[in-house]
Amino acid sequence: MSEILSKSKASLRWRLGPLWSLASLLMLVYLVTLANSFMGESLQVQLQFALVNLIIVVALQMFIGTTGVLSFGHIAFVAVGAWTVGLLTIEPDLKRSLLSDMFPFLFDVQAPWLVAVFIGGLVGGLLALIVSPFLMRLNGLQAGIATFALLGVVTQVLTYWSSIGPRSGQSMVGIPDVLNLQTTMFFALGAIVIAWLFQRTRPARLLRAAREDGIAAAASGINVVSQRIIAFTISGIVAGVAGGLFALTNRVLQAQQLGIELTFITLAMLVLGGMLSLSGAVIGALVFSVIDVGLVQLQAGVDIGSFVVSIPQGVRPIILGLILVGFLIFRPSGLTGGREIVWPFRSQRQALPGVPPENE
Amino acid sequence: MAVPTHEIGLQVENLCVSYQGVPAVRGVDLEVKAGEAIGLIGPNGAGKSSTLLGIMGATARTGTVRINGIDVAGLPPEKVVRQGVALVPEGRHIFSELSVLNNLKLGLVGRREKTGIPEAFAEVFTLFPILEEFQGRKAGLLSGGQQQQLAIARSLMANPDIILLDEPSLGLSPTAVDTVFEALDVVRKAGKAVLIVEQRAEFTIAFSDKTFVLHDGLITLTLGPSDANNVDVLTEAYFG
Amino acid sequence: MNQFIQSLVDAISGGAILGLAALSIGLVFGVIRLANFAQGEIITAAAYTLIFTWQLGWFISIPLSIVVAVALSLLMEFTVFSRMRTATPATLLIASFGLSFLLQRVYEMLFTNTVQTAPVGSALAQSIDVGGVRIQMLSVVTIILAGSLLYGLTLFLAKSSLGLQLQAAAADFQTARLIGISASRVIGLSFALSGVLAAAVAFVSTVQTGAVGPSFGVPIVILALVGAVIGGIDKLSGALAGGFLVGFATSMLASWLPQDFSNFRDAYVFGLVILVLLFRPSGLLIRGRGVART
Repeated sequence: MSEILSKSKASLRWRLGPLWSLASLLMLVYLVTLANSFMGESLQVQLQFALVNLIIVVALQMFIGTTGVLSFGHIAFVAVGAWTVGLLTIEPDLKRSLLSDMFPFLFDVQAPWLVAVFIGGLVGGLLALIVSPFLMRLNGLQAGIATFALLGVVTQVLTYWSSIGPRSGQSMVGIPDVLNLQTTMFFALGAIVIAWLFQRTRPARLLRAAREDGIAAAASGINVVSQRIIAFTISGIVAGVAGGLFALTNRVLQAQQLGIELTFITLAMLVLGGMLSLSGAVIGALVFSVIDVGLVQLQAGVDIGSFVVSIPQGVRPIILGLILVGFLIFRPSGLTGGREIVWPFRSQRQALPGVPPENE
Repeated sequence: MAVPTHEIGLQVENLCVSYQGVPAVRGVDLEVKAGEAIGLIGPNGAGKSSTLLGIMGATARTGTVRINGIDVAGLPPEKVVRQGVALVPEGRHIFSELSVLNNLKLGLVGRREKTGIPEAFAEVFTLFPILEEFQGRKAGLLSGGQQQQLAIARSLMANPDIILLDEPSLGLSPTAVDTVFEALDVVRKAGKAVLIVEQRAEFTIAFSDKTFVLHDGLITLTLGPSDANNVDVLTEAYFG
Repeated sequence: MNQFIQSLVDAISGGAILGLAALSIGLVFGVIRLANFAQGEIITAAAYTLIFTWQLGWFISIPLSIVVAVALSLLMEFTVFSRMRTATPATLLIASFGLSFLLQRVYEMLFTNTVQTAPVGSALAQSIDVGGVRIQMLSVVTIILAGSLLYGLTLFLAKSSLGLQLQAAAADFQTARLIGISASRVIGLSFALSGVLAAAVAFVSTVQTGAVGPSFGVPIVILALVGAVIGGIDKLSGALAGGFLVGFATSMLASWLPQDFSNFRDAYVFGLVILVLLFRPSGLLIRGRGVART
């Protein structure tokens, strides 16, 4: 067969293609950050949020894209990661006065911010691991509802349980200003590398196979549930880290910020880029953020010659909503069509093994 | 709604159906006239069911399908039904949560004329007395053979000129199969065009006025009733 | 004892409301496999209509709210969901989630973020004395309203030709089309009925709170959706019973849990949901594992 004849060429392509897609994604994020650092301060802050969102979207893709199972629950891991970092980095005296209802031992627990971020990731992963035996058997609609319920539980506990945070209606304040744009970018690059490595592991390959044909996978002895637990936990860790970075970027925490709205925005990013590929997650997050920044500028008013063009307050989220719904209707496979960025010097389209070109 | 008798029937020309680029039916021609029963046999995956679904417009197709002389290109199944064709689907697909009577009433949805409804009930109850007896019962509680009778009765409620049956004998006991085919004989003699897709080759060949053998989406052989006991021909049809 | 009867009546009415809301979701799901998150925004639209037109008189305001709910429901179908017929239930859920977000922002722009108020149905906001027990008039009205809507719907589904067609399409969409049932007609019908139920839910909720904001319908629809899924969204009776159960349970928890715990009542309900889904993924009332019809 001709496949065998061109095996050596093909194997080179197998090795270089994925590496190329990783390198190009890393370059893309780097260049966007570089370009942005020449711009104004407010844009830099927005980019920092965009990079945090990018990490969340990468975490989402690691699970949803690999397993084909819907999750509305990842923001719960983001939330506990953020909470952890908040609790570990706010000064003890401040905690005593502002968060007086908390368990006493929490007043003195402190960690350097970098350590705190990693602990946040571990807490996110731990939560994912604990709930995964309950969630990972479910598919489709049931999975969507159950993960949504998880988000509901976590949001409510963080809102009302003053033993681990502020009283309801108040915020956690006093998170130190330590994180800069460049460090956030390194975290984003790290998340992309981890997701890329994860894609090449055995669990991820098995899950992609099971996603395409669940019955065949079960028949060939793949324990889908245990593989899904691995994917869920790892993506929970990444989401938890993103939560920690969110805490350090926003520096004020309220459970409501880490709820339905953030779930919507990150899912929209993933849908925009294409759920089935890592490139989709990264490109979706970046493109969505660029559009968002553009809309914010427009809202404030942009000078074009002698005119000031502006859009009314409130139009921005409507346009973002239209993008999500429009893509689901007209191009459900997203901007990337579920493909990775391809080696540009060959004409064949090349998908990852097990990843079909289109999300049907 | 009177259709000239000479035009009643089904004409299929060069019908092709494919699923995601994989062809299932590759250019089938066939014709079924009023008062005629045509059989369509062939091994699993030969494209028999796809042919029926293609005729009904329930799957994307190319080629021409004429029902009572009218080209039904581009019509969705619910409109195709109203041209005077009814399908009794494989696996019966009766509405098991609804009563027998309600299943029959649903058959009326595809009926072209709004007259003669009491007569239609009377006719199917004569054809299948068991349905009259069990009319208040949940359809899901009927036996397989009774469900098949119900599925055929439901399609007759629409008073179609053409009736398509997808494996009506599937999973039925020999007596139940006899009941079904006796009823189909009555239907044929009443002047309807009958197209039967079957796996049971001998039975179908003996019953039908003409039987086509479908292989890999193509008609490879045409058989008459006298071929029913010709083992060579049958072997050729399935393995050739 | 009196207090218990009061809370029981309130819980039944709470269950009735969520039962109706879950049923409105189940009606559409049965036909096109869409669990419509944006049902909440239909409720919100009907509620806004009540608030803004109440001074014209209830006999204008209530019919108008029904018209608005049905119109919005049909509009969603024609503009969004009718273009997604081949999508999986999970994708449809994401789309409706996005639509929900989108409509909330539209309401925010049109009516601001602050709540709009009007004394809608203030005549119902009183207690009546039944054998020495004080009972909320609104709870009684809610139970009667839900009961009669259910009776009417059941009658319609069982007796009318269109109702039978809807049941047939919900049971087996492909076969329904093959026997001549018009897809667009039954889908339109399910969205319209679902809009009527949403308007009823909106009426009761608006009388209860008297204030409507952009995300008015969100908590209702979340609990209703959850109820529909744990009851068994594949069957109307399952969706109804599940919605009732969730409404009843949240109301009882709110009445009887101490304040410190009742803040977490949704968390308990959600936790319960995860457990139910683990053991009965197709819903409490559905035998076997029949739901995986994707």
